[in-house]
Amino acid sequence: MVCDTGVVASVKPLRTTETESDVSTSDSVRTEKSWRVVVWNDPVTPMAVVVVIFRKIFGYSNNKCTQLMLAVHHEGRALVWSGARDRAESYCVKLQVAGLQSTIEQDQ
Amino acid sequence: MAGKLFVRRRDGRIEVRLNEFGRSVAREAFRNVVAAEHDPTHEWHVSLTSPIDPSLDSDNPISMLTRQNETATNAELAALTIDEDFLTQNEAWIWLTTLQIALRSTAQAKGLLSDEQLAASEPEVLDYIRTLQQFLFQLADCL
Repeated sequence: MVCDTGVVASVKPLRTTETESDVSTSDSVRTEKSWRVVVWNDPVTPMAVVVVIFRKIFGYSNNKCTQLMLAVHHEGRALVWSGARDRAESYCVKLQVAGLQSTIEQDQ
Repeated sequence: MAGKLFVRRRDGRIEVRLNEFGRSVAREAFRNVVAAEHDPTHEWHVSLTSPIDPSLDSDNPISMLTRQNETATNAELAALTIDEDFLTQNEAWIWLTTLQIALRSTAQAKGLLSDEQLAASEPEVLDYIRTLQQFLFQLADCL
């Protein structure tokens, strides 16, 4: 394009094919570590009670609740849920209100 | 205390067959949970305020308040229904959770943190624990 002053105008393209600058190529994607809800063993709580509490709070199957209860019993603790911190905290409170010893911890 | 203490009826309600002694044990447990929730010097208070996230010096106040409110409300509702002959499913759940808190708080307050310590505990403490366990075992069977 030539204008009447003889000076070639600088025209900025409306669209560019060079999109590299729009996309970050660095490894800067943030991944939130999930939080774990842990239930601890104690010597007095009946096994059947633990199963009922897990079923009521998490809605897990009887089979899964029994497996988790046995993990608590044999290993001293079991990871019963993992995910976002606020939900982990909410589940932990529900378990404590139901009388189980429970804490939350961040994934390593 | 022979026979079934709690029976699930066909309409879903839970029949309470505790005798006077059984009801007095449950009543005392419910009252103690209410008292412990409000009294920091109560021997059960520590177990009601255990940490949620042990990596922090202090837990989220909203979560702590939620726990305190729900525990106290459940214990008060359980105490209100102690003389009922039939419980709804929700009431039975509230009995179970409050009795479970009483059981674990007793064990913690008496330092019974292992099977060996439990076996070596005083006979009256062990009797009380066995009684609560029996209630819980049968209630769980109905839920």
